[in-house]
Amino acid sequence: MTEYAVKVDHVSKIYQLKNKDGSHAKKQFYALRDLSFQIEQGDVVGILGTNGSGKSTLSLILAGISDIDGGTLDIRGEQALIAINTGLNPQLTGEENIKVKGALLGLKKKEIEQITQSVIDFAELGDFLYQPVKKYSSGMKSRLGFSISLALDPDIFIVDEALSVGDKGFAKKCMDHMMKLRNNQNKTIFFVSHSMSQVRKFCQTGLWIEGGKLQKIGPIQEVCDEYEAYVNELNALDAKEKKKVLKKKFDQRLIPLQKKGFWARLTGGIK
Amino acid sequence: MFKSIQYVIRENLSNLFRIYSISKYELLADMRDSKFGIFWNFASPAIQVFTYWLIFGVAWDRQPIEVKGISVPYLPWLVVGYAIWWFIQPCIQKGCSAIFSKTGVITKMKFPVSVLPATIVCKELFNHGCMLVIMFVTLFLCGYTPNINWLWILYYMFCAFAFSESVSLILSVLTMLWRDIKKLVTSLIRMFMYFSPVIWECSFSSSVPFAAVLNSIMKLNPVYYIIQGYRDAIFYGQTVFDHPLLTLYFWGVVLVLFAIGCALMFKFKKKFIDLI
Repeated sequence: MTEYAVKVDHVSKIYQLKNKDGSHAKKQFYALRDLSFQIEQGDVVGILGTNGSGKSTLSLILAGISDIDGGTLDIRGEQALIAINTGLNPQLTGEENIKVKGALLGLKKKEIEQITQSVIDFAELGDFLYQPVKKYSSGMKSRLGFSISLALDPDIFIVDEALSVGDKGFAKKCMDHMMKLRNNQNKTIFFVSHSMSQVRKFCQTGLWIEGGKLQKIGPIQEVCDEYEAYVNELNALDAKEKKKVLKKKFDQRLIPLQKKGFWARLTGGIK
Repeated sequence: MFKSIQYVIRENLSNLFRIYSISKYELLADMRDSKFGIFWNFASPAIQVFTYWLIFGVAWDRQPIEVKGISVPYLPWLVVGYAIWWFIQPCIQKGCSAIFSKTGVITKMKFPVSVLPATIVCKELFNHGCMLVIMFVTLFLCGYTPNINWLWILYYMFCAFAFSESVSLILSVLTMLWRDIKKLVTSLIRMFMYFSPVIWECSFSSSVPFAAVLNSIMKLNPVYYIIQGYRDAIFYGQTVFDHPLLTLYFWGVVLVLFAIGCALMFKFKKKFIDLI
């Protein structure tokens, strides 16, 4: 029995809703509700779900960026979210941006010097490396950003829709790199993607969340099949019925709330 | 309380290279923005000082400022005061948006948020260096030569650093909770300048009612201590030991501000992402 890397126990995440006019509504919204699961070390987990079901919230929580509002979360090891375009400064050249983003990610000066060459090789930017990033095409920007993120060496990777960047050649290169991480270095990887073929090929475990709740966790093919069936069923509905289903799902996630002002938040915290 | 202070200090110290890199490359990006780049880091404060001197010094014909028998012409007196204001003012103003302007980073990666105010202060420290060059050139042109007492500037620079860091810690968190803080500070900072001895010596003549009380109140402003400190060091040959009470008061205020800033930072460190 291998050790677990992530243990999520009855975790909830609550967001504050706003009214149409922008004022605080007296409503709160479960982004995630009572989520419990356990992921073993070295597992590759594909997170599935329709838009707005809480996938990105979950990845932010797993990355340690966002705080939880209920339950307990136990993560063993250093985790990192692969963020592509974050931290690139458009005024600076590609080469300088490697240093900027490296520093933002918390690398030491020596480590940045070490990774620079491999980043340059991986990004394949050629002479564009010495041009300001504002002149880059969006694909080139993503290449650079992604290459820098990959230079990190955490125990747990969280990849949120990050592999759908660049052209096919680069996407394959990224995929190959992730495969290598999975096979050789026994990294735990969370993988959020809407590309079912990618998920089926890459992941071992499927985690399907719907409406902020855990719908199913299990072997990837099984979960994928069920998820696809659900999506097809939803698409088959006509517009009116679909709206009804979505509305019902939304209402289930609402919770009434007592209003708290600025001072209450300042003194009492948000919890 | 001590836990939060410890937390902020440790996070800042363990991320010194991060702070250095962020401020360095942000400065660099600012310079790349314009054609003349670093020229503006010198030109804009110089133009400001020139304007104040033209209006208050020349047009209103300000007399040399005399303290304890040493009289100092208006231009060198102003340039020293403005040099330190040129550091504190942007620190406070940009410190407000220290966290908010980095929204893209803190929502996308695990990031030690409490270092962000320090990056702003370090960035402005560079601009302060540029301004100091202008200050020294002006002083030389006015016939002042450096002496050993000028080294006290370094101590007062550290005071300004500590004060700005504490204030921007507080303001950066409050701005996240309440975006209006930034607008409030932007409008108040101009008023604040006139309550600090930047362009006038902040003392009312005895013809004003309650002049003595008002003058003491003016001294409660921590910026008063810093600006007067610079001038003491350069013109009046005084050291920090000449006013121990004010020194104690200043550090008391800074420590309280810093403690409040740390407590706020500690309390909200994981909540920022939900406050955007």
